[in-house]
Amino acid sequence: MASRIKLLFVVIVLVLIGGGIAAYKNAVLGLPLRAGYLPPEWMIEAKLTFLADDEKVRAELSIPAAAVDEGLSPEAGSVGYNYYVEKDQGEYTAVWTSEKQSQNQALYYRINFLDRKKSGGEPIPHPGGGFPVPESPGFSGALEDGAKRVIQRAKAVSADPDSLFVGIFREVVAIQSSQEIGLLRARYEDEAGRGALTVLGIDLLNMAGVPARLAYGVKLEEARGGQQPTRLVEYYDGAYWKVRDPDDPGSTLDPSKIFVWHRGGGALFEVTGGESSKLSFTVTRDFIRPAEMANLRESPLVISTIFGLPASERDVFRYVVLIPLGAFVVVVMRNLVGIATLGTFMPVLLALALLEMKLESGLIMFTVIVTVGLWIRFLLSRLNMLVVPRVAACVVIVTLLMMVLSVVSYRLGMMDGLRITLFPMIILAWTIERMSLIWEEEGKRSAIMQVGGSVLVAVIAYSFMSVPQVKYWAFYFPELLLVLLACIILIGRYTGYRLSELVRFRDFKEV
Amino acid sequence: MKRWWHRWIRTPGELRAMGVVGINMRNARFLLPNNPRKLYDLVDNKIRTKQLAIDHKMAVPETYAVVRNPHDTSVLEKLLKGRESFVIKPARGSGGKGVLVIVAREGGYFIKPSGSRLTLDELKHHCSNILAGLFSLGGRRDVGLIEYRVHPAKVLTEISFQGAPDIRVVMLKGYPVMAMLRAATRESDGRANLHQGAIGIGIDLATGRTVRAVHHGHPIERHPDLKVPVVGVQLPHWDAILDIAVTCHEMTRLGYLGVDIMIDEDLGPLMIEVNARPGLAIQLANGVGLMRRLEPALERSQSHPHDSHDQKIAFSREAFGVKLSAP
Repeated sequence: MASRIKLLFVVIVLVLIGGGIAAYKNAVLGLPLRAGYLPPEWMIEAKLTFLADDEKVRAELSIPAAAVDEGLSPEAGSVGYNYYVEKDQGEYTAVWTSEKQSQNQALYYRINFLDRKKSGGEPIPHPGGGFPVPESPGFSGALEDGAKRVIQRAKAVSADPDSLFVGIFREVVAIQSSQEIGLLRARYEDEAGRGALTVLGIDLLNMAGVPARLAYGVKLEEARGGQQPTRLVEYYDGAYWKVRDPDDPGSTLDPSKIFVWHRGGGALFEVTGGESSKLSFTVTRDFIRPAEMANLRESPLVISTIFGLPASERDVFRYVVLIPLGAFVVVVMRNLVGIATLGTFMPVLLALALLEMKLESGLIMFTVIVTVGLWIRFLLSRLNMLVVPRVAACVVIVTLLMMVLSVVSYRLGMMDGLRITLFPMIILAWTIERMSLIWEEEGKRSAIMQVGGSVLVAVIAYSFMSVPQVKYWAFYFPELLLVLLACIILIGRYTGYRLSELVRFRDFKEV
Repeated sequence: MKRWWHRWIRTPGELRAMGVVGINMRNARFLLPNNPRKLYDLVDNKIRTKQLAIDHKMAVPETYAVVRNPHDTSVLEKLLKGRESFVIKPARGSGGKGVLVIVAREGGYFIKPSGSRLTLDELKHHCSNILAGLFSLGGRRDVGLIEYRVHPAKVLTEISFQGAPDIRVVMLKGYPVMAMLRAATRESDGRANLHQGAIGIGIDLATGRTVRAVHHGHPIERHPDLKVPVVGVQLPHWDAILDIAVTCHEMTRLGYLGVDIMIDEDLGPLMIEVNARPGLAIQLANGVGLMRRLEPALERSQSHPHDSHDQKIAFSREAFGVKLSAP
């Protein structure tokens, strides 16, 4: 009995602490308990990282003019740096300076804004008046002849710089390219590596007499981990500078998909006194208004300080806080319902993988990979291989299957298929191996029941984890996890029947 | 008083009234408090269990050889020299996984009870699978055991289709509480797992007579394939079987355990393995909720903490024997 009282005490304390903090946040900090429908609030955070060389550091990051002009609540974060914004002819640069720094450094610049009508790539006049002069790329020999022919062809069918831009970039990025473009591409890919085609297009435009230069944008889509700046092209149409996406030259930029971060041709960022500098962007949509966010960030609750973390770090928690919820679902399904699963936490991992893609395509991918993998695994088992090589062979098969599926789904126009790379491979391989063993040892019925049970639990966990209200609570009220912990402890001491046992013993009759 | 829902489920209240024990209750009330973790290795490793049994002068199948490393696998032929029939099993296997029975040799082939033939290479492959931990709990590395194949007593082979039937005795604190016989059917393919179609036969603890049988949860009188009666069969050596079971408790100190025993035609009852997590199907086979037996045993262990070996057996026979209703 004493242990029962201890248990109840622990449960009550956990519920009180968790619930209390949540209530405090709600009543004092004014954080709403119910998730409002998603307000169109974007946050972009630029993170500049580098290794300081133990000397004076000066880091410059070009920032969008809109951030300063329209006041998109810009904020810069860094410790131990002197920070100011430099303005030069309508272009802004954030500058951090410091006397002495060493080791890893990270500088942040973030802006918040509602959905905008403008992407930031709108026509602007040339700063300082006058006309920009196109810079000749200085081709020679065969390259020059080839480039000239490409330009002639594009000019023949274009009327103005806009249509010339479309003509040149269509040819540059086309899959089946002309001989001249092939020659030019080979040369640029050697030198410029990533983004070579964009640079090539810019040089061709300049050669054709249209001034053009690189610009950078940020895609407005939430993704795990940071994104690299997207290369865009800025060109002068005779009166204004305009920005377009070289991959989609025919249309103007869609402000709901992309935000132009940098234009004006200068460097996107520059670090002196440091090496291996890198810039990445994190894009998030917040569920709550910035004012509430600020309250939360400055609240004295330790657990809320995760909201004071930079977006790139904080974003990881969006997923991390969901894992206990998945584990909770597994506990309920196993201990209260009694569904057999393959391994204890395979369903949680599966559910996390499903969160990455659409449910249907995820399930189709899983079914196809496991079915085909199992079949190949049975073929392999005739070779009488040892265990570890066999599992390794399974990993190879799964990898190849993923590649095939990605290509097939891409050809069929299902872009979701490409996300399969995030499906945990080892989990799939191990599933196949375990399933084939159970298949041989206990028969196909057991194997299918257990895998089916795992998938069912995964789908339930997935559905639970993707309820907006649940996500909202998990992320903004992480202390409620203590209440969840209390529930798990209670279930841990549940000695009643599982739902499946009510069925299992349905014919039980005392004699 | 059968209600419409009884076709699909029983209510928790009904099950509780019949004393049925569920997995959660078994774990929380009987397994966890009575079986300290550190004792598990005694029974999870068959080599240790066997050595312990031999120390306690208990009859177990003779060990012919232990396959400990790939070298032993490659000289398997030498290890099996002169052995016509034998069993290869993983030391840490559970639930009968990885057990390979060979009943005879014919030229270069090894014959399984089902009649299918295996080559020496296939045996070697099976051994290397055991070594790699394919059948062990959690996939840890394992060793293989080659031992005497039990020639089941005739009474038992008559009621089992191909596979050798084994007797499972479940005990709490050293008091035998329930026993059953598991017999294979054509459907269960020589295996003794009830949910794979084997039949579970309840045994009267007092006399060792079979009292009831279930196949897929339904009571039966005759074996579905062999058509012989399976109820009312008297098992031989019942006293010795109970004696082995209680000795297993004494040597392992596990509070809640199941002991698997086979009866050899010549050697009598042999202890096969001790299970620290016995399942719940035994209540289906006996038609008795385990709670009916576990609670009296628990009370007895508290009121008579110093019961001797024989007193425990006597108590169980007296308290849990099937009372014949007065004519």
